[in-house]
Amino acid sequence: MLKFILRRILIMIPQLFLLSVLIFLLAKAMPGDALTGQLAANPKMDPQTLEEMKEKLGLNDPVHIQYIRWVKNMLHGDLGLSYTHQQPVTDLLAGRVGNTVLLSAAILILTYLIAIPLGIVSGRWTDTWADKLIVGYSYIGYATPLFIFALIMLFIFGFHLGWFPTGGSVDIQVEEGTLAYYLSKLNHLMLPALSGALINTVVTIQYLRSEIIDTKVKDFVKTARAKGVPERHIYWRHILRNSFLPIAAFLGYEITGLIGGSVFLESIYSYPGLGQLFLQSIMQRDYSVVTALVMISGVATLVGTLLSDIILSAVDPRIRIE
Amino acid sequence: MALLNVNHLKVYYPVRGGFFRRVIDHVRAVDDVSFSLNQGETYGLVGESGCGKTTTGRTIIGLIRATAGEVLFEGTDLTKLNRRQFHAYRKDIQMIFQDPYSSLNPRKRVLDIVAEPLRNFEKLSPQEERKKVQYVLERVGLSAESIYKYPHEFSGGQRQRIGIARALTLNPKLIIADEPVSALDVSVQAQVLNFMKDIQQEYGLTYLFISHDLGIIRHMCDRIGIMYRGRLVEEGTSEDIFTNPQHIYTKRLLSAIPNADPRDRSKQAALRREVEEEYAQAYSHYFDENGRAYPLKPISPTHSVAIP
Amino acid sequence: MKLEANGPTAVGTNVEKSPSPLSIMWRELVHDRLALGSLIVLTIILLIVYGASLFLDQEEIVKVDFLAIHSPPSAEHWLGTDYGGRDVFGQLIIGARNSFTIGLAITLITGVIGLIVGLVAGYFGGWVDNIIMRIIDFILVLPFLMLVIVFVAIVPKYNVLTFILIMSAFLWTGKARLIRAKTLAERELDYVSASKTLGTPDWKIILFQILPNLSSIIIVNLTLNLAGNIGIESGLTYLGFGLPESTPSLGTLVSYATNPDVLQNKWWVWLPASLLILVMMLCINFIGQALKRAADARQRLS
Repeated sequence: MLKFILRRILIMIPQLFLLSVLIFLLAKAMPGDALTGQLAANPKMDPQTLEEMKEKLGLNDPVHIQYIRWVKNMLHGDLGLSYTHQQPVTDLLAGRVGNTVLLSAAILILTYLIAIPLGIVSGRWTDTWADKLIVGYSYIGYATPLFIFALIMLFIFGFHLGWFPTGGSVDIQVEEGTLAYYLSKLNHLMLPALSGALINTVVTIQYLRSEIIDTKVKDFVKTARAKGVPERHIYWRHILRNSFLPIAAFLGYEITGLIGGSVFLESIYSYPGLGQLFLQSIMQRDYSVVTALVMISGVATLVGTLLSDIILSAVDPRIRIE
Repeated sequence: MALLNVNHLKVYYPVRGGFFRRVIDHVRAVDDVSFSLNQGETYGLVGESGCGKTTTGRTIIGLIRATAGEVLFEGTDLTKLNRRQFHAYRKDIQMIFQDPYSSLNPRKRVLDIVAEPLRNFEKLSPQEERKKVQYVLERVGLSAESIYKYPHEFSGGQRQRIGIARALTLNPKLIIADEPVSALDVSVQAQVLNFMKDIQQEYGLTYLFISHDLGIIRHMCDRIGIMYRGRLVEEGTSEDIFTNPQHIYTKRLLSAIPNADPRDRSKQAALRREVEEEYAQAYSHYFDENGRAYPLKPISPTHSVAIP
Repeated sequence: MKLEANGPTAVGTNVEKSPSPLSIMWRELVHDRLALGSLIVLTIILLIVYGASLFLDQEEIVKVDFLAIHSPPSAEHWLGTDYGGRDVFGQLIIGARNSFTIGLAITLITGVIGLIVGLVAGYFGGWVDNIIMRIIDFILVLPFLMLVIVFVAIVPKYNVLTFILIMSAFLWTGKARLIRAKTLAERELDYVSASKTLGTPDWKIILFQILPNLSSIIIVNLTLNLAGNIGIESGLTYLGFGLPESTPSLGTLVSYATNPDVLQNKWWVWLPASLLILVMMLCINFIGQALKRAADARQRLS
């Protein structure tokens, strides 16, 4: 097991390296570098000072030296300077990351709260009207693009019925730290999280349903039933226990989807998180922020996949072989 | 000169282990096997599953790469040939596969299946090709109309005949039959086996017949090689092996043949016990300290045994 | 000994002719009322969209008319006009045509790449497979959406073709992995060994022996992917990083809803396009699910 984990981490190192090279090259290809910001602040800089600045910032060094410096800075938590906000990227992200984590966590919690009961009902009582309804929902949810669904939710519950706020993460009037503040945050969170979750549940529902259907005809379940084990125990002890661990393990793989989803959700609900920051930065050509965000999402995805792989291999030793 | 000489054939698979997946050991699927086939005879390769008999057959026909040793076909070492050079010998060596279900592509009509080798080796017009396929099919006892059918429309025995027809289209000299009837119902087995004997006579074929079933081997083969853990432990004519087995493993195999006569049941049981006892006692005599069989030693002009 | 094959009548005349995978799929499709309905709806939508776009003048539609800004649906403008006074219905037709065509193009390109790579990796195995799988694993862990947006933002001379290429560069991997796994399983079957011993060259074995056995999986996969690709394209266009402005997509119309006033009060601008995307994706998905059942004999309805 330990060997598997070590080997799996070893595989991640070249991936991490390639990811950083790719993003570094993208950053180089983006119009504008550390100088553009300075130049914008002081357009009348003479060519000699410009050259001196270039030299000082290391922009004349060979590419690989620049790459190494870039990685070193990143490891020290220095992600560069945002031109539009005129503050370190690290500070800018720190102000936003909480909202995105909150939104993602809310989506995940709601997803499981919805998906697990529905999956169990649908798998246990197959071909009842409840099952058909749930399967129908999962088909529609599978086909519906998140951004369309989120827009329609916002249109109906935000604007038309007015049940939820239509933008932001918290009311401006409320004072930070008060109960009203947290309630307002929760209120702003509900609609985006629910939109994300209702689309996100589909995979889990379908997985759980087919897992239960497959397991309930297995011989060990039949044996348990023949021995007179009550139906409720059969489901809890024999069927569900086997299905829950993989569902928990899929968490890591969901990070990719959550990152993509947060870009859409935060844009539609004007929710001030990293996804919205990413879109704003790329439109304002604030590329040091863009680079940092892509790198962070890349690392998050890599680590998520790593964790999922490890958990799954712990659950199912067959995966470990290769 | 023999049609086929297999000399010191070895097929090893690496076993990887440790943190860096280095090769730490080898599985010796075929471990220094030598035998030869004469024109027109049937040579039986017998042994339990996993003993390397199928690997030997597949290595001879080039499906598996030999680790060492040579496969001389009419004097040419097939293991040294590259793909293009091997192509010239494809016509002469053909194979009948064990599973008549997976060995026929379910998406192909019988015509396409049987004509596949023709299309690779002979430039025939569609009419000539169809004629030839129909001819071969009739030879194996299938109707000429079956060329437009798909494999699943046939029974297992019929499918195996299609497989045989496919192997026959190029008029090969050597056919490697890898358990050709073990997937068939017992009632159909005899038909297919007798049919194989018929076409052997007619075309002067040489068979390398691979099987775990000693009854079938006795029925089919002129000479027999007994394989155990990748090595030959005994080789001789059918007569030698069945009436005068020398190696303990051969004896054990033979004692396991079921006897149809219930009156002999206790005699058979006693024989089995005896062989089992001898096996337990004499095991170390027949195998070296690593559990490998010794090299074959001739005990008569036709009979060799692996004894120290 | 010729018990089982004496004469032409004995063999298989009473055995039912085997249906090809395509006809199985067709039968399943027709038997599934939902899928059949979806097929009909989709066909009608596509006929209208492609038929009407022949007669519609794109120049005329994208022409700005300040006298008719945001006018609600009327006889003249069936679905009203947008902020530039442009006819929404016309844009809907053109957008649907572009979205579908481009989704299809991406599906086909990624299908071909995925097929070639998957077949080669699965059939030959060894170090070729190893390298290909490492590349695929790497691409699959990249933050797809963000990287596409970055590429779209920095590519010089950005047009429809570059968009298709950028998308394809990421989206072939899933297909390649699926095809590889299936090829790997197929390669172990004896009919492939038989072809080798019969002297058939590898490329012929791949194309004429293995590929036909993968056809149903490929069709199912491509169908479901088509829906997905239309969704991704319109989503990216909605964000402003999909099709360039010269090529309006359904996502372009939806993107007008980023203006809260349009979202709240001018439903005719964004809602029809949203619903059209939804309906097209649902139809394609229902068809794909029926085909999936057809490919898996255990789940067939008919």
